[in-house]
Amino acid sequence: MKSQTGLLFALPALIVLFMLIAYPVAYTGLLSVTDAKGNFSGLDNFAAVLKPKVTVQAFINTIYWVFGSIVFQVVLGTLTAILLNQSFFGRGALRAITLIPWVVPGIVAATTWAWMFHTEFGIINYMLTGTGVLQNPIGWLTNKDTVMPVLIAINVWKLFPFVAIMVLAGLQSIPNDLYEAARVDGATFWEEVWYIMLPSVRPVITAVTLLLVIWGLNSITIIYAITRGGPANKTLITPIQIFRSAFESFQFNQAAALSVIFFAVTIVVVFIYIKVLSAQPGEAK
Amino acid sequence: MKLTSAAAMLALTVSSLTLSTAAFAGEVVWWTPNWGEARAKELVEKFQAANPGITIKAEITVSDGLPQRVLTALQSGGAPDIIEVQHGWVNGYAQNGLIIPLDDTIQDKDDYTKAAIDYVTWDNQLWAIPYRMETRAVVFNKGDFTAVGLDPANPPQTWDQFVDAATKLSVNGKSGFAITGGGEMGNTITASLPYVWMAGGALISDDMTTATANSPETVKGVTFYTDFLKKGLSPASTLENDGTAARRLFIAGTVSSYLGGQFDIPSIKTENPAIDIGVFPIPHPEGVNTAGVLGGWSYVIPKDAKNPTDAKLFLQFLNTTENQGFFTDTFPVRVSSQALPRFDDPILSVFKSMLPYARPVPIHKNWVQITQAYFDGLQRIMLDEQTPQEAMDQANEEIQALLDS
Repeated sequence: MKSQTGLLFALPALIVLFMLIAYPVAYTGLLSVTDAKGNFSGLDNFAAVLKPKVTVQAFINTIYWVFGSIVFQVVLGTLTAILLNQSFFGRGALRAITLIPWVVPGIVAATTWAWMFHTEFGIINYMLTGTGVLQNPIGWLTNKDTVMPVLIAINVWKLFPFVAIMVLAGLQSIPNDLYEAARVDGATFWEEVWYIMLPSVRPVITAVTLLLVIWGLNSITIIYAITRGGPANKTLITPIQIFRSAFESFQFNQAAALSVIFFAVTIVVVFIYIKVLSAQPGEAK
Repeated sequence: MKLTSAAAMLALTVSSLTLSTAAFAGEVVWWTPNWGEARAKELVEKFQAANPGITIKAEITVSDGLPQRVLTALQSGGAPDIIEVQHGWVNGYAQNGLIIPLDDTIQDKDDYTKAAIDYVTWDNQLWAIPYRMETRAVVFNKGDFTAVGLDPANPPQTWDQFVDAATKLSVNGKSGFAITGGGEMGNTITASLPYVWMAGGALISDDMTTATANSPETVKGVTFYTDFLKKGLSPASTLENDGTAARRLFIAGTVSSYLGGQFDIPSIKTENPAIDIGVFPIPHPEGVNTAGVLGGWSYVIPKDAKNPTDAKLFLQFLNTTENQGFFTDTFPVRVSSQALPRFDDPILSVFKSMLPYARPVPIHKNWVQITQAYFDGLQRIMLDEQTPQEAMDQANEEIQALLDS
C-alpha cells in the first residue's frame, strides 16, 4: 500500500520525464534506422553520415573544442577560487562580479563577442590598432588559425566562474586545523595549495570536469551564434552538424543516426573518465 | 541524440504553445511574416466582410529561424492552414509529402511569371502559389563614384568595367565592392551563383545526375567572385559578412557598392540619408546577358491543414491582381499586378529590369546540402586554403555523392 502511494505521487513527474526524455530518445533511435517514409533501412543512414569527410572534421573539431575549453576552464576556475578564498577587502564584491559571465544568457554573450571580434567594427581590433599594437586589423573569426582559439576563449570566459564557485565551496569546507598544522611545519602558501587545497577539492574538480565535458559536447549556442560552424567548417562541431542536417537539410533520419553515434561515443568517454578516476587510490568518494 | 530530439520536442512544444493552430470550423489559420502585418490585417478584414462564415486568424512569423519552425509544424501534424514560405523551400516540402498541390486553386495561371511558377512545380503539379518575387542588383554610392572620377550616370556593365570601377573605388580604406562569404549561407549562394551562370557554368547538370561544380566555366565564375576579396576590393571581414552585414558596411560608408535588394533601400535612406543611392544591373561578361537568382515568397497549404477548402478560397482572394500587388513587399508575380502605380519608382526600375534574367535554382531534394558543399568550397578559397580549382574539385566530389544518394 505504502509503496503504491509513493508511486502515485511520483507518477506525474515520471510521466513528464518519460514524455520529455525517454520517448524522444527512443524515437531518435527509431528514426536512425528508418528512411524518410518510415520504412526500415538498416544501417544506411549510418553509412551515409559517416562517408563525408566533414563528419570526421567535425569530430576532430569537437575534441579540440571540448578539450581546449575544459583545460582552461578548470585551471582558471581553480586559480580564481583560490584567490577568492583569501581574505581581502572587497572580496564579496569580487565574488559577485566573477559570476557575471556565468549568468549572462549564452546567446547574448555570443552575439556581443561576435561584434567585439568583428574585423571591421570590433572594439578589440579598434583598441589594438588604435594603440599601435597592430598595424592592420586581424580577422579573428575569419582566420583559420585564430577562429577556434577565439571561440574557446569565449567559452572559457563563459564557464570558468562556474568552476570557480564550485571549487570555492569545496575550499571553504577545509578545516582550518590543516592550514595551522601546515604552518607549524613551515609550509609556504604554494605548499598549502599543493598539499592541502588541491587534494581536498579534487572530488569537486572531478565532478565539475565531468559536467563540463557533457556541456562541452552538447554546446551549440556560442559557435552557432558566432560562426555557424564556418569558415569552411573550421569550427563545425558534431552537435552543429546534427542540427544542420535535421533543420537545414531536412535529413531527420541521417541526423538521428549521427546523434546515435555521437551519443555512443559520449557514453564511452564518460564511462572511461569515471573508470579512470575510480581507479585513483585514496580518492574521496 | 539528446540534442536533436530535445530540440525537436522543444520546438514542437513552443510552436504549439505560442501559436494555437487548432482551427475551428470556418476558421483559417494563416502564418504570415511580420513585414506585411499591417497589409495582412487590412486584407483579412476585407475578406471577412465579404465572407461572413469564415474567420481568418493571421499569426505573425519572423524570418529568423522560420525554415526550422515551418518544418517542425509541417512534420508535427499541427500545422496551420496557410503558410508563407520562400519559393526555394517548396520543393522539399512537396517531395516529402508535407503540402498539397494547388492546381485547382490558382486562377489566371498564364498571368503569372513563368520562372516563379516553374520554381514551385514538381512532378507536373503546382505545390504553391507564388505571389512575390525579386532579384538582386548592385547598390552603389553615387558620391563615391564621383569622388574617384567615375560617372554615376554610366555605371559598369561588363565584368572588366566592374573590376576596374571596384579597383578605383578601393581607396582611402574603402572597399569598392563587398561580396559576402559568411553569416547566412543563402545570401552568398544568391550573390555568387549569377557569376557562375554568366560564365556558362552550373553546380549540377540540367538532368541533375552529374555534378558540374569543377567545370572550367563554373571555376571561372567562382574565381571572378572570390577575386574581389583576393584583390582587396571587398572588405577584410568578408568571411563574416552576409547581406545584412554588407548593407551595414555600405551605410557606414566603408564600402562603395554591394549586391542588394529593393528591400534594402528604405533602411539605407533612414539610417544614412546622406548617401546618394544608385542601382545598376549585375555586370556580365562581354556579349553575355546578365543573370540573377530569382527569390521570393509563395503560399502553401500543409497536408495536415484543418480547413483546406476555406484556405483555398482565401488564397484566391489574396491573389487577385489588385490584392497581390497590394500585399507584396517587392514585385508581384502576376504580370497584371506589376502594372500598378506603386511599382513605377525609378530605383525599382533597375530591379525590375533584372527580373527577366532571373533564374530559379535547380529543384533537387538535396539542394541545401549541395549549396553547403559549394559554400564550404568558396570559404576555402577565401581562406587561402585551396585554389578555386582545388576547392571546386572537392565540392564537386561532395555534390556528386549527394546526387547519387
